[in-house]
Amino acid sequence: MSQVSLSREEAIIGKLKARFPEAIEETKIDRARRVTIHFEKDHVQEIAMFMRDELGFDHVKGVAGVDLPTQKKIEVLYFAGSYSNAEVQDFIVILKAQLPRDNPIIASVVSVWESAHFHERETFEMFGVKFEGHPDLRKLLTLDNWEGPPPMLKDIKFPEMGQR
Amino acid sequence: MTTEPPSPGISISKTAEPSTLDVSVGPQHPGSGHCRILIRVDGDYIVSADPDIGYVHRGCEKIAEYRNYVSNIPHLERPNIADAIHLNWGYVLPIEELQGVVVPPRGKYISTIAAEMNRIMSHLYGLAIMQGVFSGHTTIFMWAFGDRDLFIELAEMLTGARLTYSFLVPGGPRRDLPFGFEDRLSRLLDYFEKRLVEYDRIFFSNPSVIARAKGIGVLKREDAKKLGVVGPVLRASGVKYDVRKVEPYGAYADLEFDIPTFEEGDSYSRYLIRFEEMKQSVRIIRQALEKIPKGPIARKAPLVAPEGEATGRVESSRGEITYLVMGDNSDKPSRVKIMNGSFRNLIALPFLVRNVHVADMPIIYGSLDYWPVEADR
Amino acid sequence: MSQDTLQDFAGVWIGKMSELVQTIIGSGPIKYIVNWSRMYALWPVHITTACCSAEFGAMMGPRLDPERFGMQAVAGGLRQCDLLIVEGTVTKKMAKRLKIVYEQMPKPRYVIAMGDCACSGGLFHDSYSIVNDVHKLFPIDVYVPGCPPRPEALLSAIVKLREKIRRQEVFA
Repeated sequence: MSQVSLSREEAIIGKLKARFPEAIEETKIDRARRVTIHFEKDHVQEIAMFMRDELGFDHVKGVAGVDLPTQKKIEVLYFAGSYSNAEVQDFIVILKAQLPRDNPIIASVVSVWESAHFHERETFEMFGVKFEGHPDLRKLLTLDNWEGPPPMLKDIKFPEMGQR
Repeated sequence: MTTEPPSPGISISKTAEPSTLDVSVGPQHPGSGHCRILIRVDGDYIVSADPDIGYVHRGCEKIAEYRNYVSNIPHLERPNIADAIHLNWGYVLPIEELQGVVVPPRGKYISTIAAEMNRIMSHLYGLAIMQGVFSGHTTIFMWAFGDRDLFIELAEMLTGARLTYSFLVPGGPRRDLPFGFEDRLSRLLDYFEKRLVEYDRIFFSNPSVIARAKGIGVLKREDAKKLGVVGPVLRASGVKYDVRKVEPYGAYADLEFDIPTFEEGDSYSRYLIRFEEMKQSVRIIRQALEKIPKGPIARKAPLVAPEGEATGRVESSRGEITYLVMGDNSDKPSRVKIMNGSFRNLIALPFLVRNVHVADMPIIYGSLDYWPVEADR
Repeated sequence: MSQDTLQDFAGVWIGKMSELVQTIIGSGPIKYIVNWSRMYALWPVHITTACCSAEFGAMMGPRLDPERFGMQAVAGGLRQCDLLIVEGTVTKKMAKRLKIVYEQMPKPRYVIAMGDCACSGGLFHDSYSIVNDVHKLFPIDVYVPGCPPRPEALLSAIVKLREKIRRQEVFA
């Protein structure tokens, strides 16, 4: 088994930790070309701007929500990728922020990464996460007059679905 | 019916002029597919467009938490039924990473051959309907569907189903190549290469197609990178990015092929790029048929996945599909997130459909190859 | 005769005349001609519902050629169409539009439920956003099972529907 050098991954983590020493909570390298960074949710726009301008991650592939009912948190994941910077073109950097489950509010990154526009709308609809500063936060996929709860939360088992 | 002003997506213009009219290019329309596009029209010019999607939202991500890993494959491959292998493969890659299962080389080659056949089938489908019927060219619809049926027959021989194969499970493909398959496939590829020349003559070099599509809906390179579009839309704007080269999976690391790109970024180059990609797919399949090794096709994978998360991506015919799978030591995933090509390309639609004639909208919409079922999941 | 008697006589006479007209039309060559013209010009509405539309497109292709039955996807409005094919899963958002489309089609109108999802729920039956009982939205004439059904199966459903039209009453 040859040792795969993880120097590029560690360089990214090093630069982020140097710039935001108090905002970065935890970092992890899952494997080559995958870096996971847990950060404090209030610094999301600054970190996004640093990633775009200094490190060359110019788009997000998606914005996901994960419901953690046992920890009473909702996690928001940003999958950052790069088209312009040839050194990190094969990377996916996953930025994670944890929000309190009863009041999930986070600033929107649409002013930094325009590619997050529709993804944030979907996360708002599916998990109830409010993205402050989003130019057009309304429902995208469910029925026009859906009055029900955000569908993807774990404690919502719709009567039609098989119990887990 | 919404009474809010349609949002153009990128540049916000909330004031509605009294001379404008909101038109619903709705789900019942010969040129809209399974979605609705609300356009605000001033005379013959479209001021802004607002996509209204969700007509085929079936909750795949929620259903995926209630079924085990293998039972998830049928409903996760339905969103893009014309290109089912890629949605299947993208789901299986992170599970294999979590479980630590390595597919043997022969299995990788078989998956690659099936995936490239699917890419040709999906491009023919897009050529027939999105680029052909939406612009009024019904001859290419008949021709492309006739040739696509020949590929479907071969896929039926390989997997047993016409469109919904469920062919790849964690560990590798389910079946080996049947007897006589390689011979039939190479003969079909010879016939198909001759047909591609005829497609060029009737559609891509057709003066009326060129007049309708050239210079329409130009997406510049910087905008394409900023909006985060994927797939042929990205490559037609000059960005050479293909997951098969950036992060090779399957057998692509051993095979030689080019990534076509164009610089203009207009609708015509988005038409042409799928034509070039079909030629490259023929080249890939031919090499794979020569180089395929012997041996087992699959390894047995466990039914549970350990705790953790993994991301995997493939390059489907509509763009890069990224899957996030989170396991929790049981036989059901705790979260499956799908980021597919059509949903990521949706942002280009309100961006491009501004200050264009109404008749240009189906051309732009068709050239993006937006498949609403895939975007809605 | 008084006014009432004249009105009663006129009402009974008109009733008997229209019964006679209906019997003439319903029994002979007129019924044959009317049903022949209906079954040879079935135009489907341009509304695609879900993934079975890929096999619907394959049926309209050159191999099976339903145009020889007069079934072509013309780009007219839906006021000129008489066949609604529910292809695949019906979500709640789409169900509202399907119902509006069905009510706007002029009579006689026919519905084919294509695919397992339209027949009875299918693969996505336990989702939160779909409608399982499409037959409660509008009456369905032919059910085509399959996931997705082969184009030949859909064509045989159309042949069955034409047989049904051939035998139906003129003023159905």
